[in-house]
Amino acid sequence: METNILHTHKELVEESKKGDRNAQYQLYELYVDAMYNISIRIIGIKEDAEDIIQESFVMAFKNLNTFRYESTFGSWLKRIVINKSINHLKLKKIPVTPLDDHEYHIADTTNETVQTNDISKIKQGINMLPNGYKQIINLYLIEGYDHLEISEILGITSSTSKSQYHRAKKKLIQIINTL
Amino acid sequence: MDAFEKYIKENRDQFNDHKADKAKLWLQIESKLDTSETKSIKIWQSPLIKIAASIIIILSIFSGTSLYITSGINKNHQKNIVNRELQDIDTYYNGLVSFQVQLVKNNKKLLPKDKEEFLSFMSELDEEYNSLKEEMKQNLNNEYILEAIIKNYKKRIELIENLLRQINDQKNSSTNEEYFL
Repeated sequence: METNILHTHKELVEESKKGDRNAQYQLYELYVDAMYNISIRIIGIKEDAEDIIQESFVMAFKNLNTFRYESTFGSWLKRIVINKSINHLKLKKIPVTPLDDHEYHIADTTNETVQTNDISKIKQGINMLPNGYKQIINLYLIEGYDHLEISEILGITSSTSKSQYHRAKKKLIQIINTL
Repeated sequence: MDAFEKYIKENRDQFNDHKADKAKLWLQIESKLDTSETKSIKIWQSPLIKIAASIIIILSIFSGTSLYITSGINKNHQKNIVNRELQDIDTYYNGLVSFQVQLVKNNKKLLPKDKEEFLSFMSELDEEYNSLKEEMKQNLNNEYILEAIIKNYKKRIELIENLLRQINDQKNSSTNEEYFL
């Protein structure tokens, strides 16, 4: 079953590897919206996200021969988009991790809970987070990466990823509760 | 994982609220892909292009051979002109040399020893000239052979000039003798 998932759109991928523009367009159409949303969540600017999406698809099609079905095509492509988007922020000197980078802070035991199940409020709250916190919330909660993967993407240790995530989540809950 | 995290993860889809401008983005992606190798691979895989390519190759072979043939004709024409000119020069000098050799042979004033020496030199140069001419036939454009032929002619003329000087000297000396006598 797992191999079946890994080989999703295998025919399209194989045709695209040969340079079949039609197959490449079909793959593009399948993934472009999801990728665009991922990039916008990280970068926050539509025009910049469009540039990233273009670059990512061009890079993906040019390097498709290196894709060996070790993951699904979608997650391979998603990783390209995320890496490019994070690099874009780094180039613009926008922090991708929280500036106050204390790994050993005193744990806050007060466990705030969210009183809302309103997605739009959550979205709003994420957007109001400081840049560093926003990325880790995005990557963990919405993109679904684990801390090991996040540590690779952001260039931090996985323990830093864990501690920062918890602080980011606390901050997010605080913001949502004030909305 | 608490309820909040669980809720977000279950409703991930709702975070995708943006729609990409598919056509616009694809145009730009396609133009960037066109400059890469992928397109060249695609072109060679198309059967139409293959047919077109083979037609071009066949045409170029035909035009190439016809060009070669016409240039060959031109070359032959040029070769003919050069050959004729060379032949004209050759016959002129040959006539001149043989006429003078005959003169020398018939000259009674010259000593037989001098005559023999002159004629043997001349026949040596004749042999050299003939072998050079053979080489010319095999390779017309060889400048070295042409130069050698010219040198050969020059030597003959030099020989004849020397002989003439000798004859004149003898004449002078004989007139001087007469004068003295």
